Amino acid sequence: MEGRRIGVYVCHCGLNIAGTVDVEEVAKYAATLPSVVVSRDYHYMCSDPGQALIKDDIKECGINRVVVASCSPRMHELTFRNACQDGGLNPYLLEHTNIREHCSWVHEDKAAATEKAKALVRAAVKRVYYHEPLEVKEAPVNPNVLVVGGGIAGMQAALDIANGEHQVYLVEREPSIGGHMIQLDRTFPTLDCSECILTPKMAEVGHHPFIELLAYSEVEEVSGSIGQFKVKVRKKARYIDESKCVGCGVCEEKCPWKVPSEFEMGLAMRKAIYIPFAQAIPNVVTIDKDLCVYIQSGGKKCGACIKFCEANAVTPETLLNQSDQIVELEVGSIIVATGYDQFDPSVVPQYGYKKYDNVLTGLEFERITCAAGPTGGKILLKDGTEPENVAIIHCVGSRDQNYHEYCSRVCCMYGLKYAYLIKELTGADVYEFYIDMRCFGEGFEEFYKRISEEGIKFIRGKVAKVTDVAITEEEKGKLIVVAEDTLLGSMVRVPVDMVILCAALESRSDADKVASLFGLNRRADGFFLARHVKLDPVATPTDGIFIAGCCEAPRDIPDTVAQAEAAAAKALSLISKGKITLEAAVATVDEAQCQGCGRCEEICTFHAPKVISKNGVMVSTINETLCKGCGACAVACPTGAISIRHFTQEEILAQVGALIEV
Amino acid sequence: MAEFEPQIIAFCCNWCTYAAADLAGTSRVHYPPNVKIVRVMCSGMVNPIYVLKAFESGADGVLVAGCNLVDCYYLDGPVKCDAMFAILKKLVHILGLEDERLRREMISASEGVVFARVVEEMVEGLKKLGPAPFKVKKGAVV
Amino acid sequence: MNLYEIIQDTKTHYCLECGKCSSICPISRYDPQYSPRVMIEDALFGFEEELIHNHKLFSCLTCYACQLKCPSDVDYPLFIRKTRELAAAAGEHGDYAHSGTLQSLVGLMARSSIKQRRFEWFSNSYRTSESSDVMLFIGCSPYFEPVFEDIPVRTLDIAEASLKILNSLGIEPLVHPDEKCCGHDALWLGDMETFRILAEHNAAIIKESGVKKLIFFCPEGYRTFKLDYPNYVKLDCEVMHISEFLAQRLETEGLRFNEVKKKVTYQDPCRLGRHLGIYDAPRKVLASIPGIELVEMEHIREDSICCGTSCFTNCDSYSKQIRVGRLVEAKATGAETLITSCPKCQTHFKCAMVARGEEKGPEVEIEVMDLANLVANAIGG
Ligand SMILES: Cc1cc2nc3c(=O)[nH]c(=O)nc-3n(C[C@H](O)[C@H](O)[C@H](O)COP(=O)(O)OP(=O)(O)OC[C@H]3O[C@@H](n4cnc5c(N)ncnc54)[C@H](O)[C@@H]3O)c2cc1C
Ligand code: SF4
Ligand code: SF4
Ligand code: FES
Repeated sequence: MEGRRIGVYVCHCGLNIAGTVDVEEVAKYAATLPSVVVSRDYHYMCSDPGQALIKDDIKECGINRVVVASCSPRMHELTFRNACQDGGLNPYLLEHTNIREHCSWVHEDKAAATEKAKALVRAAVKRVYYHEPLEVKEAPVNPNVLVVGGGIAGMQAALDIANGEHQVYLVEREPSIGGHMIQLDRTFPTLDCSECILTPKMAEVGHHPFIELLAYSEVEEVSGSIGQFKVKVRKKARYIDESKCVGCGVCEEKCPWKVPSEFEMGLAMRKAIYIPFAQAIPNVVTIDKDLCVYIQSGGKKCGACIKFCEANAVTPETLLNQSDQIVELEVGSIIVATGYDQFDPSVVPQYGYKKYDNVLTGLEFERITCAAGPTGGKILLKDGTEPENVAIIHCVGSRDQNYHEYCSRVCCMYGLKYAYLIKELTGADVYEFYIDMRCFGEGFEEFYKRISEEGIKFIRGKVAKVTDVAITEEEKGKLIVVAEDTLLGSMVRVPVDMVILCAALESRSDADKVASLFGLNRRADGFFLARHVKLDPVATPTDGIFIAGCCEAPRDIPDTVAQAEAAAAKALSLISKGKITLEAAVATVDEAQCQGCGRCEEICTFHAPKVISKNGVMVSTINETLCKGCGACAVACPTGAISIRHFTQEEILAQVGALIEV
Repeated sequence: MAEFEPQIIAFCCNWCTYAAADLAGTSRVHYPPNVKIVRVMCSGMVNPIYVLKAFESGADGVLVAGCNLVDCYYLDGPVKCDAMFAILKKLVHILGLEDERLRREMISASEGVVFARVVEEMVEGLKKLGPAPFKVKKGAVV
Repeated sequence: MNLYEIIQDTKTHYCLECGKCSSICPISRYDPQYSPRVMIEDALFGFEEELIHNHKLFSCLTCYACQLKCPSDVDYPLFIRKTRELAAAAGEHGDYAHSGTLQSLVGLMARSSIKQRRFEWFSNSYRTSESSDVMLFIGCSPYFEPVFEDIPVRTLDIAEASLKILNSLGIEPLVHPDEKCCGHDALWLGDMETFRILAEHNAAIIKESGVKKLIFFCPEGYRTFKLDYPNYVKLDCEVMHISEFLAQRLETEGLRFNEVKKKVTYQDPCRLGRHLGIYDAPRKVLASIPGIELVEMEHIREDSICCGTSCFTNCDSYSKQIRVGRLVEAKATGAETLITSCPKCQTHFKCAMVARGEEKGPEVEIEVMDLANLVANAIGG
């Protein structure tokens, strides 16, 4: 480490520092320290003449390391870094030490403050000795964006970006986009029909010149980092020729093989060749390979679709020889909008879901009230009759230590929505069993009030069980809902014909897979973790990857849309800047020192280190675009292989060791 | 004999506690000059050796301070710092050091006064305890 | 001492430049830049500056493999140790593992005037006595415990097992609350100031306690007390490794163990084996436990391969490869457990198994256990 020539600059800051610290003495003292070749004090170091001192000394005295003792580096580190740079010195060869906020302003005793300032300068000189020049790197941003999930969140984000005329790839796992919203009948609190407001958006997505829709597809691999992700998408075989299919549905009509429809929540059947629902986008059929007898028999049986398809979209060739395709994409940012799963209430045995015919979940009920649904929009019991009384049970799987501790946010409101619809369509008595009514959104409280006036009975109490064991004549043949009415303090037994369970919204069952694919972190409740709950709610620990909608937490449609737009804005701002500036003070690995133990990979929140095999030896490598320089890996590393530039152990130990005069 | 003046080295994260100390400065909240701050980017960056080295070089007390759990600029640095600190505490405990010489705090950027108070408390406590029992190793200071 | 004297003292000038050392050295096997022969050559050419600032000076494991094979009897490990004294005086040290935490703790321990709290782990189920004439040396185990808790290595389990063994033989040993690190690492890293302070302290407390016999479960402490302390301090007591002690008792008292069904292999710790020539005692103990089947590795006894790190310094990629190689050898025996009688061997082997990245290296998982723990299990109760 020969050839260190250190310049020290002690600032008076008018009397702000000089009033308490004898700056001249500090400068004089600094001049005696090893490797210090110039040491000056000056009235205002941050002023132009102050900065000029540094620049001139770089040129004239050949100083190659700079210590400025003045105010907080949080205030002027950048100023002095720039001064170094203007003087022709790498900006990272500066050490800025704080003798104002941390010294002159907080201490009164002049002698003690001066001693402390000397110590801080001494430590800074020791530390700057080890500073190395760093390069601030930039990387370009690919303007294409990948959106994963074609629910309302994904569609909205895709449209916002595409309307800015940037290419979007929208990957949806199911045969059609639409997500949960397209399954809903009417939406609270305005009760507008979900299909009516959503299908135009779906069509727009389907036709948009800047959106390439990859439906019935899944992301398989993501590599790279912000600005330049490489993505592999598996486009699953539909076993038909998509370019020929016009979605006429004749094949579906003729196909003799049936299973319960996923879209209809199992309340109706679909065929082996099917379009999940009438307004599906893309409007083409899909073949359920496991169910298709032609495929299963190797072309020996059935083949009805081939016979009836006039467009020639289904042929023996497509049925027997089509295989999945891998599409490779390059994008600069990714929006994950994979939504939620509905909690399966059959794990709560006391509610009798799947045991009793007329115990339904919210989504099942949505299908029942929907005019295009299995009952043509009529609220009917399994036996085809109309219910005379219906119980709606809130918080099923939500706000419950045994299942999910959190509130699912939408159930109170859709519970009220159902009460209204049932009353309206059947005139049946409706009982709402709730713990607390949470009606916090715009127009929600008003909606609650309006429903309360319709003669709905609200019972505050968590339901203990739903049973068909009658104890009175009146209860015979009914489902009896047993609960404590906590407002009255007495047990109630309410005999009804139908029970609707407001099941929780939970994180997707494959959320762990998706999280590791995209480098997301999950909260304890399973949903994806935002960078900062309050101040950075759509960013994630991985730069360039954003989250929107119910994959982040349960929320209603307006909130989902707002979040999707926020994520789109994030992606757009990246695109409009066109490049990213990388943190210079990041981690580096000394490969000869590394043992490939992976402790760094394990501890890093930002997924920057990866252990790989190099010539058969495991070593860690740092993705500098992901690293934030937090230093956690260097603490975890047992061998000292990782160090953080500008905050190396050598530097910090030198500083610490010099703080106390002995 | 002059009163014993304990030496404290404080490791403060750039985004919260260092900023809190800045705030103490701008609001002219006075505290004793016995503390010297080492700026680290995150409390999760504090290596046990930094603290041990502080004792080796003559510190009577060490403060490790950073953001509150939810405020960390790097999301979960404080959790990592806590884990490190738990091990460190065990080690200095076995060495025989009084537990009060090593302190962990979470002080947010708005808590200049809290920073000053913590320093005051430490100085007072350390004055009662007297100097740390380590003789500085020859040539230990780099 | 200067380089010239070191060369004299360690018979380095007899070097034939045959390269046997480099061919046997476990590090040279993986690190093409490391060669004992070249180090010696540098010394003989008088390149003192280059030598003491060469950070590979701190790579040597001082495992004594080369010394046993050297046709001229050059004491290379001693040469290294003494040259490190020069290097340390010039402010050099190797790359400390664990950021130097362990070295720092030892330094603080040496320079502290207060009472340590070494024995909070100690449970009442063991009997000890302040007036015993046998002392069990606990060493740095209480400090290792928190540092390596994530691997996990429980060095204090070995201490407890040793106490259990001694108790079952009717011995209530002294465990001394004021004992400090034996100074092994300081010595081998050339930090003589720290080593002297520790040696003098330990010698003094042992003298004061009046014990006649000092038992170690750590071969490093044993070696240091047996071979190094006499050069600096006066010790009037017998020192022994617990495996030796057990082997002795097997003969004199016809010890009996319960059956433990296990196929094991045995790692000769360098300090116990090549440094002190103790190969038979631990094997004898193993053979005396019914149900234990010992299957030997390819390299054993004098040819045994070091656990790959020494003094928590220069624990690098090559060190890891040595350990992985040794573990592969251990697994190849088909044994389910690798027995060692050194807490540090155990630590280093277990650390080499850590694979927390998504991508994994070679499969080297095997149970590692100290001989003392195995014996304690065989005692039962
Ligand atoms: C019973 C019920 C009634 C509701 N009623 C209302 C209401 O009246 N008003 C209201 O505002 N809100 C209501 N909601 C809430 C509403 O459903 C959500 O706010 C909204 O659907 C969230 O949209 P999303 O895009 O985030 O998620 P989703 O609708 O779940 O969409 C996610 C999409 O991503 C796809 N996907 C998932 N994983 C992958 C993957 N790995 N790769 C590719 N694609 C994937 C899915 O197939 C799906 O298309 C109700 C919810 C329920 C359960
Ligand atoms: S923690 Fe250190 S030794 Fe382990 S893989 Fe990471 S850099 Fe390598
Ligand atoms: S410095 Fe922080 S962000 Fe960078 S690799 Fe290490 S742990 Fe990850
Ligand atoms: S940034 Fe303050 S603790 Fe992490």
